[in-house]
Amino acid sequence: MAGSKTAVVLCMDVGLTMSNSAPGEESSFELAKKVIQKFVQRQVFSETKIELALVLFGTDSTDNPLSQDGQYQNIRVHRHLRIPDCELLIEIENQVQPESKEGDWLDALVVCMDLLHTETKGKKYDCLNIALLTDLNTQTNEESLEVIINNLTQSGITMQFFLPFPVEEDKEGQGDSERRDPGHPGTGKGLSREQKKNMELVKEMMLSLDVEDGLDEIHTFRNAIEELCMFKRVERRPVAWPCQLTIGSSLSIRIVGYKAVTDEKPKKMWITVDAQSHQKDDVKRETVYCLDDDNETEVQKDDIIQGFRYGSDIVPFSKVDQEQMKYKHDGKCFAVLGFTKQSAIHRHQFMGSQILKIFAARDDEHAGVALSALIRALNELQMVAIVRYAYNRTSNPQVGAAFPCIKQDSECLMYVQLPFMEDLRHFTFPSLENKKFTPSDAQLSAVDSLIDSMMLVEEDENGEQRDLFKPHRIPNPAFQRHFQCLHHRAVSPGTPLPPIEPWLKAALDRPEVITERCQDPLDVLKRKFPLTEVEKKKKLKTSAQIFGKESEESEAKKVKEDEAEEYNLANIAEGSVTSVGSVDPARDFRALIKQKILPFGEVCQQLTHRIEQLLSNKNTQYYMKSITCIQAFREQSVKLANAEHYNSYLQSLKGSIPNRGLEVFWELLVQDGLTLISKDEVEGSTVSKAEANQFLVAEEQKEEAAPAPVEDTGDVDDLLDMM
Amino acid sequence: SKKQTWMKKQTMEHYQSWIGKIISSDKDLVALVFYGTEESKNPRNSFKHVYVYHDLSEPGAKRVQEVDALRGEKGAKLAAETIGSGETSLGDALWCCANLYSDIKLRLSHKRLMIFTCRDEPHGGDSVKDRQARTKASDLKETGVVIDLMHLMKPGGFDISLFFCDIVSPPEDESELGLQLQPSDKLEDLLKRVRAKELKKRALARLNLCLGEGINVAVGIYATAVAARKPGSIKLYRETNEPVRSKTRTFHTQTGSLLLPSEIKKAQYYGGKEIVMERDEVDAIKKFDDPGLFLIGFKPMEKLKLHHHIRPAVFLYPEEDEVKGSSCLFSALLKKCSERNVFALCRFISRRNYPPRFVALLPQNEELDEGKVQITPPGFNVIYLPFADDFRTLDPPQFPSASQTQVDKMKEIVSKLRFKYRSEGFENPVIQQHFRNLEALALDMMAPEEIEDLIMPKVDQIDQRLGPLVQEFKDLVYPAYYNPESKPAAKRKTGQSGAEKKPKVELTEDELKAHVQNNTLVKLTVPVLKDACKQFGVRTTGTKKQELIDALIARLRS
Repeated sequence: MAGSKTAVVLCMDVGLTMSNSAPGEESSFELAKKVIQKFVQRQVFSETKIELALVLFGTDSTDNPLSQDGQYQNIRVHRHLRIPDCELLIEIENQVQPESKEGDWLDALVVCMDLLHTETKGKKYDCLNIALLTDLNTQTNEESLEVIINNLTQSGITMQFFLPFPVEEDKEGQGDSERRDPGHPGTGKGLSREQKKNMELVKEMMLSLDVEDGLDEIHTFRNAIEELCMFKRVERRPVAWPCQLTIGSSLSIRIVGYKAVTDEKPKKMWITVDAQSHQKDDVKRETVYCLDDDNETEVQKDDIIQGFRYGSDIVPFSKVDQEQMKYKHDGKCFAVLGFTKQSAIHRHQFMGSQILKIFAARDDEHAGVALSALIRALNELQMVAIVRYAYNRTSNPQVGAAFPCIKQDSECLMYVQLPFMEDLRHFTFPSLENKKFTPSDAQLSAVDSLIDSMMLVEEDENGEQRDLFKPHRIPNPAFQRHFQCLHHRAVSPGTPLPPIEPWLKAALDRPEVITERCQDPLDVLKRKFPLTEVEKKKKLKTSAQIFGKESEESEAKKVKEDEAEEYNLANIAEGSVTSVGSVDPARDFRALIKQKILPFGEVCQQLTHRIEQLLSNKNTQYYMKSITCIQAFREQSVKLANAEHYNSYLQSLKGSIPNRGLEVFWELLVQDGLTLISKDEVEGSTVSKAEANQFLVAEEQKEEAAPAPVEDTGDVDDLLDMM
Repeated sequence: SKKQTWMKKQTMEHYQSWIGKIISSDKDLVALVFYGTEESKNPRNSFKHVYVYHDLSEPGAKRVQEVDALRGEKGAKLAAETIGSGETSLGDALWCCANLYSDIKLRLSHKRLMIFTCRDEPHGGDSVKDRQARTKASDLKETGVVIDLMHLMKPGGFDISLFFCDIVSPPEDESELGLQLQPSDKLEDLLKRVRAKELKKRALARLNLCLGEGINVAVGIYATAVAARKPGSIKLYRETNEPVRSKTRTFHTQTGSLLLPSEIKKAQYYGGKEIVMERDEVDAIKKFDDPGLFLIGFKPMEKLKLHHHIRPAVFLYPEEDEVKGSSCLFSALLKKCSERNVFALCRFISRRNYPPRFVALLPQNEELDEGKVQITPPGFNVIYLPFADDFRTLDPPQFPSASQTQVDKMKEIVSKLRFKYRSEGFENPVIQQHFRNLEALALDMMAPEEIEDLIMPKVDQIDQRLGPLVQEFKDLVYPAYYNPESKPAAKRKTGQSGAEKKPKVELTEDELKAHVQNNTLVKLTVPVLKDACKQFGVRTTGTKKQELIDALIARLRS
């Protein structure tokens, strides 16, 4: 609660017996220290205004205002009442250590009361509290008990006890089995005489204080740690938004709105500091503007105006003009545009990042009744109100839906923003009702049993529903982790950040029952649905980068690659060639022939197609590439003793040279001596050696033919896309 | 003349889609090519009857005006003069377009050619020309150009199979069903089709939906509803209106030297201490796991609460290209979830170094309209669920519920104001106004086109429809003296449970007397004193503290 002031004294036993522990168990001291650490940590990071003091007892030294004449010995006021800070966290981490004396817990309590009394004097506090952490294993002067109880009651101080064992355990006959209870392990041996006696005192005290169920305020260390392990959520006070709900011009209802659910962001931003001094004042960020000329002439901020793109033009639009011309409205508003069926509002079209709850104005019963009539009417008709909502004059108006919401103790409208036409993107996706993807009955039933095994909501024996996993009860892990790391860095600077806390990891994971239950159905599913990752050359690299998977596997691969670079690269490349591409058609062509998957004729066709494409770009570079293609074509044809495809292509190519104005290219071909394959080379060829030689002599008579229109079928983009 | 009207229509469409284009993505290049024209105008003038009205470039205000000039009666005349109508050769037109594409030195991510026509046999059966066109079309498709047909209904029906089926690109994603585009007889529909195509379907992320060890379904995440904003502004130099570049530098205040990233750290201030982290540690803190969706389990649909909303949903669709078999398993999951009315609860890390969120995967079945056009695609809607921190503790005011008579009267009102909600029914007046303003400035219009504010209640209509119902309802719920429109100041008058912000410090007579005796009245506040005066029936004329005290003393001593 805002404005309320709370003072808490943490009073911890650090005496001799606190360090006792059974083998493999944490000592009471460790546990108690954890409790106060967690508690203080929560206060520091939620920045509450609770004031804290820390009193230790069982200390070797004595330092408290009451110590006199051997009284109140071995009690040390470690910190006086103050708002807790990182300093305190560091002190707890480093300076609160087990000590070797015995302290009287009742004496310590008196010191705490005195501290509260003197340090809160003259100020108003709503809550004074003492939390005592001890194993009660000390001799006590019980005569003072009554006085203490009276004093506590009078000054309105509440008490909390944190003990190593639960309150019931003082009963007779507690055996080994009970001690082994993992939830509340004892001190290793049964309760000592002192502990039993002290337990009675504690009970007497708690029952006589004017509190209901006083015994509820006696906690065990372990339970406390569990409960305190989460960082406290940073409370935000709901801000009321008073307005009027209007229907038409003459019906209005006074309402008040509150943000009920919203995407909560961390309260503090990271600030940039100098790495050496850790001072933020040492670092300055500055933005300068300059013209896009050679000198990068700097322009003053005042000389800059805003412009907006209108197609290729930039339209200057000064802020003043924008302000003048922009859409204006009357401000705060919650006006009904009409009513519609709830089913017309799609859940996946909810916009914005919040849900508002709308109530009738506080203390206005008539508004309450009027709004109730609307809420109930909507609920009975299963309808919603479509409203225009504007938070204030300067904010943009929205359209949204107000749903009726009736709970046992309250009624309200729930407002959620809906999309504007401009916000929607109507994407179409191929239908999944497709023979290729239709699951078989066996596959469907595998999914069915998976769903059965993974239902998170089930009925228990009593027919009551049990939800095994409630995300809305889980604290935002980002905040938890954030504070965990901040705390770590504050108390142990210079050490690497700790791993995510196990409880948080567990909270984010599938419940164990489900994990066990779904194992078999998952195995079946795996068998029924073959899933194969599609390997992509390019993708492999980027996905490894994107996902930061620096697995040993990829490392190993890299090493291997380095060893036999060329060879491996070629292999990898060949492995994925499925057609003659435009990047290196000759290489692809050779690879495809080697693979022998596609028929030779088809591969040749693919190659000639690429050659044709290349030739449509009248450019020497493309000509060169075409030449290498033809070279590869010839070479492979000879190798496979199949001259037919090559020869016929070359003949048709020659025929088209004059029409396409490819004379330059032809010259290159001639220079390289890329002629027909003759009988001498391949037996099946129908071309004689002489014919082959004659072939390259171009007919010159058609030279004056008008150069045909330049044919640029834009292969450029394709090439670029692939690189 | 038939051709003329056709051309006119074509121009109009183009004009409007152009405006839309300017608004939706201004970096796109657009060309306008007319074919079957009398005049010829193209880069090397090598094609007859092809008129490149606009070369491939970013559309700007001037071009909009130029196209605008072709509209209407006057426009038709102008068109007849400048381009005329002549022989048609689609092959030449396509060839010319191919040249336009290849003349662009930029790398283009999408190339799309839209053919607007109302003739299903453009060459009137000339098989040579048909063949030429087919060849050129396949050449274009070869280089990655998608050819779409924007055909208008013609008397007797537009028969795609006659010719155009060989020209246009096959439907995307090689789905066997594909989208059957029926010819459209309304310009508006056609326009919608043009507009719908403008939005690039681009996945926000491609990742795995992990059902269990080794069972990964590849999925793409798509944003189907994103709050549209005014496009960002560009900073210009006032004198010349040329864009300026901004440079941001981080430097040391004392030495003035520029700071390298390694020379800065990040810090937060808590509990009186600056806690410092390295920059990569700040990122590392946010990392919980690799990006992906991890299935936790399933829940019945009614467990998804209406108010569990923190941000707009996204859409999930399988990526067969990443993991083969994804579509089949996805389809089975979708089918079963939908049949059993359950949703899948998943842990979701959307990007690298993003903390997890929990999401509900809601099955959505494919829906087609009568024309076999997809209304909703098949897939899962991903609803983000809030964490405990996202809820605020409210203290709801409590009121008596309305009686059934009151509720029934309101039901009459509600029924009178029923309408059919369509999510695309409301335009954002803020953005619309901005674009109108820009348009007006760019095209030198006198004043921006008026916008209709669709989210303004039509008060007159509402009043008229409701008639006497409003008064009847008010009579049922409000007492005669009650005025809901009164300002909060009037709040205190209403009701017996008037607002009491601060607990009133009521003083008993004895306490007050003690104050008078001890002379401690001064310590009380003015409101308390005022209340005391009222309580003891002291009439005061003044409002000053001393006057109140004097009056009280006078009364109590007497």
